[in-house]
Amino acid sequence: MTTAVVRKEKETVGFDRAGFDQFIDRRIDPIWITQSRKDAWAAFETMGWPNPRDENWLRSDLRGFKLSKYNPTDETEPQSVGEAPVRLLEGVEVAGSIRSENGVVTHEALDPKYAAKGVVFGSLSRCARDHGELVKKHLHAQINIQSDRFAALQAAMWTDGYFLYVPKNVVIDKPLHIHAGMGDGSVDISHALVVLDEGAEATVLYESSSATQDAGGFHCGGLELVVGARSNLRFVGLQDWGNDAWHFAHKRASIGQDANLQWTIAAVGSKFAQVDQQVALIGKGANSHVNGVLFTRDRQHLTYNTIQRHSATHCTSDFLYKAVLQDRSRTVWRGMIKVDEGADKTDGYQRNDNLLLSDNARADSIPGLEIKADDVRCTHGSTSGRVDEELIFYARSRGFTRQEAIRMIVTGFFQQIFDRISIESVREALGAAIARQVRQYD
Amino acid sequence: MTSKTSTSFVFACKLSELKPNIPVAREVNDRFVVLTLLDGQVYCIEDICTHDGGTLGDGELDGNCLVCPRHGAKFDVRTGDAICMPATEGTLAHEVEVRGDDVFVQLKDN
Repeated sequence: MTTAVVRKEKETVGFDRAGFDQFIDRRIDPIWITQSRKDAWAAFETMGWPNPRDENWLRSDLRGFKLSKYNPTDETEPQSVGEAPVRLLEGVEVAGSIRSENGVVTHEALDPKYAAKGVVFGSLSRCARDHGELVKKHLHAQINIQSDRFAALQAAMWTDGYFLYVPKNVVIDKPLHIHAGMGDGSVDISHALVVLDEGAEATVLYESSSATQDAGGFHCGGLELVVGARSNLRFVGLQDWGNDAWHFAHKRASIGQDANLQWTIAAVGSKFAQVDQQVALIGKGANSHVNGVLFTRDRQHLTYNTIQRHSATHCTSDFLYKAVLQDRSRTVWRGMIKVDEGADKTDGYQRNDNLLLSDNARADSIPGLEIKADDVRCTHGSTSGRVDEELIFYARSRGFTRQEAIRMIVTGFFQQIFDRISIESVREALGAAIARQVRQYD
Repeated sequence: MTSKTSTSFVFACKLSELKPNIPVAREVNDRFVVLTLLDGQVYCIEDICTHDGGTLGDGELDGNCLVCPRHGAKFDVRTGDAICMPATEGTLAHEVEVRGDDVFVQLKDN
């Protein structure tokens, strides 16, 4: 007797009600997560796309983005993103690592030495099941899902993500590494949650990349850093998606009393990025250093809206964003220092420098201050300018090509940020990423 | 503005969709353009205000000019030239060909 096997093809669904219902049906989530997803989906359905007259979106042209072109990742299916490059691991011995493909964690590892001390590091979905109370307390606590439709979509349909918890007074003396890979035309909706308890210390290297430089795709991400009292977190993010990818992210950090956050953000990939970043200094004496490196080419459009929010006294925040632009690319940086009433002895600084390598590139820089306290020191600055042709002429007269000369100038321009990065491998990886990005001019 | 032109004309809209002096925004080959029927002639310019990079599609016509709805920059719909501050650089103007009730445009590379 022969038996005919009829394989029913899975129906492809998009980001609509049917797609969401299917997504919920196939998930194994705690009830509280399912409920929060449903609430977020309800918000997503009632909201419109960001209004182009909204200040945060005023300079972002979303018309080319069509959500209907993408389908949610089916996490029950095997994922493959090809050879998405990993840059930050070169010469680094890590305490743990996570790899995700299209937003689904496919590898997780943590040195047992740290696990024995109570450190938790791994898939967010798994940790939400195994360490429910810990995750529940912090997940989406800092990101307002009503802030825009992407935040609501991310909160409703994150497939997986990364969770790190470092208990009180535990020091992780080696970096933890996270790599998010995305296939061409695929979707990565993920969330990273890092929680450092009192007196803890950790370094996290988080990078994202596509299989090829020209790959497309849709990333909608969330990142929350909880830096407990007297703890120290060094967080490095490298965004290197393919040149046809859409990147939307909400990134938040809260810093407790006498705690330190050193946060480095580097963005070289994607055709369009809209990042909403906020650091809240909520404990007395909290300190944050944020370094931003943007290097664009072709028609890339990267927007960073940053907020330094001072809610406690004696806090320090120092944001430095540097951008180099080639071709017809465009960057928008909109920074705001907000000082709440009573947050005296605040020391806030923000700066954005832009170096334009082409007549057709464009950098918009909009620093701002909103101060409700009396005794503060808040300063900001911005510079934008073309590369000095005399410098290039001098270098060429010494035998360098135009490309080599520009590479040197660009590296020198970013040096101020490299000097602020204390991890050698990160400095080298960023230097290499920047060198790759310099166009051939001759 | 110097620019190269792609060789082929592509369909943009039906002529009957255009009402005199009412700009219409369309997506053509992943590009965004504004088509205007002015004095019986169809014109097409890039739907980008060179001042802030935003869309012109919601703007209204003032004589021969499309007025940016945000800051009031004006662009001549026939040539793309910037006529009024805060824009100082013209936006692209594309060739238009009307075949029966179909409007085709030849997009310039920008």
